[in-house]
Amino acid sequence: MDAVLQGLGMLFAPQNFLTIVVCSLYGLFVGSIPGLSATLAASLLVPFTFFMEPLAALCSIVSMSAMAIFAGDIPAALIRIPGTPSSAAYTQDSFALTKQGKAQMVLGTDIIFSAIGGLMGAIVLMTSAPLLAEVAMKFSTFEYFWLAALGLSATVMVSAGSQAKGAIAMCLGLFLSTIGVDITLGCPRFTFGNVDLLNGISFIPAMIGVFGISEVMRNVSDRQMDFAIAKVKTKGIFTGVGKLIKKYQWNMWRSGIIGTIIGVLPGAGADIAAWIAYAASKRASKEKELYGKGSIEAIVDSGTANNACLAGDWVPALVFGIPGDSITAVVIGVLFMKGLRPGPMIFEQQPEILYGVYFAFILANLLMVPFGWLAVKTSSQMLRVPKKILIPIIMMFAITGAFAINNDVFDIITLGVLGIIGYFMERNDYPVAPIVLGLVLGPILEQNFMMSMIKTDWNLTLFFVRPISAILGGATVLMWGFPFFMAFLENTKKKK
Amino acid sequence: MWSKDYIGGVFFIVLGVLIWVGTSQLPVLPGGHPGPSLFPRVLGTLFIFFSLIVILEGWRKSKMPPPTPIETAEELREGNVIIIAEKNHFNSVLVIILIAAFIAAAKYLGFIITGGAVLFILMWKLQVKPIKAFIISALVICFIYSVFAKILRVPLPQGFLWW
Repeated sequence: MDAVLQGLGMLFAPQNFLTIVVCSLYGLFVGSIPGLSATLAASLLVPFTFFMEPLAALCSIVSMSAMAIFAGDIPAALIRIPGTPSSAAYTQDSFALTKQGKAQMVLGTDIIFSAIGGLMGAIVLMTSAPLLAEVAMKFSTFEYFWLAALGLSATVMVSAGSQAKGAIAMCLGLFLSTIGVDITLGCPRFTFGNVDLLNGISFIPAMIGVFGISEVMRNVSDRQMDFAIAKVKTKGIFTGVGKLIKKYQWNMWRSGIIGTIIGVLPGAGADIAAWIAYAASKRASKEKELYGKGSIEAIVDSGTANNACLAGDWVPALVFGIPGDSITAVVIGVLFMKGLRPGPMIFEQQPEILYGVYFAFILANLLMVPFGWLAVKTSSQMLRVPKKILIPIIMMFAITGAFAINNDVFDIITLGVLGIIGYFMERNDYPVAPIVLGLVLGPILEQNFMMSMIKTDWNLTLFFVRPISAILGGATVLMWGFPFFMAFLENTKKKK
Repeated sequence: MWSKDYIGGVFFIVLGVLIWVGTSQLPVLPGGHPGPSLFPRVLGTLFIFFSLIVILEGWRKSKMPPPTPIETAEELREGNVIIIAEKNHFNSVLVIILIAAFIAAAKYLGFIITGGAVLFILMWKLQVKPIKAFIISALVICFIYSVFAKILRVPLPQGFLWW
């Protein structure tokens, strides 16, 4: 109880509360501009978190991501372009309703159901994380190895497009994590005599490069887009939303659960949650014919799920140090930067910080209502910010932010190189999020594997002896075999 | 699209092979067990394995009829948006050139001059009017300098003018 009250008190300290407000507005701005993602916003925020207290740093990312995921719904409804990938599932329906003159209803629904979804996710995070932390206390190197392997496998399975390309991206991230001094004998690997590489690839500049600079490179190669944006009146934006809550309450619960479960699964983020909730909604709906042509039910379901997913993503990140999505990969980097090691010990040693984070989720989702109203009111101005001015500014913030972490020019080189890698990977349809996840999980994977092997005298069978280890190992192996099984089924169906 | 798969696949196969070559000189653990080379070699093998799958996928796609091509400069009207699909790849290269120039020049010219120049050049290339680009670059670089150097006390490169 002391930790709960302490966390609440810390949250409402002026600097933390102000951080939440400022970062909420930042998230709203970035989320509502097509072409800028919540992950880009998080990567640009990280250098600033370096100078914040731990709770303020974590709350900044919580509030920014909650607002950004919702704000992507605004351009989706107004110009049929999602602001973030998590709004893509229901862009068609949102815009169709806007063309029918129902833009206010769509945006009001987006605000309220996003807030409800976020609150549901926050409650699950508050209740499940401490329970899982108790289970995690029993984890040894075997369990951590399988958990990291499971997280990486899940990332590959849910990556858009070719899973083989997702696997290659993951391997690339893992390979980058091997650069530097190895953990067994302390000998340099792939440093080519360069002293800077002895410390390995710095995660924060690498992440800013992969998400930030590659995005900059992509945006500057596009010609300008001109928008003719309808001005939306905010009066009456919430009219009728109460009736929708009553009518679609089961949808709301279902999608909240779907979103949270997807979030807990390592590697799957808000965009996956939105698509799965959309598919489930269509399957269960009595008005299937409206989907894709203007279904408010689709918006209710997907909008709830993507925001519920955000808090769910923090469960594996806080309890096991395994990122739930690319934003929580950033969070893990921030935790390490602050000297906080994610895992069960943080629940014992600094629970007040965790309670502060839980309450930050609740506060951010409550603030979503007034801030969302403000964002809708100013949407036409925000969407007119010229990208040809915004993108160079983002590039300069990325360069300065990367330098600021270690005050080292080598980090700017890392930024540039990873930016090039990210750009070419995406141009050739390779997903980039697995690179970052591989970079974060690589040391955990290798370290726990080598320690397990050394202490068991290289007996591989012992990876399946402990019960939790056996379950996690079995799940991972099944996941590896799943694509081959599906290919076999498909071939069998074709033959029939 | 299909040739991209072949090129990408070959690239990562070569990377996998190079990893095996690069780890050949790494020491082993006592007892002859693999040490520092184990994890990279597993990754090298996975690179080769998955790259072969990517090449196979590319070969399969090449057997399918190609999609209807979109004209490179076609105007697509989607909702209320006019999108011109033409790409300017030189601008992407320019971003990297500017980052490299910043790395090389900042320690001599300082953060403000180098950063301001980088901002100005990119905005100008993106067809922002020169005077507007200059004013915005100056304001933004001063803002970034104030936040990072003065408030956060990051020792940004100062150069010969101590800026």
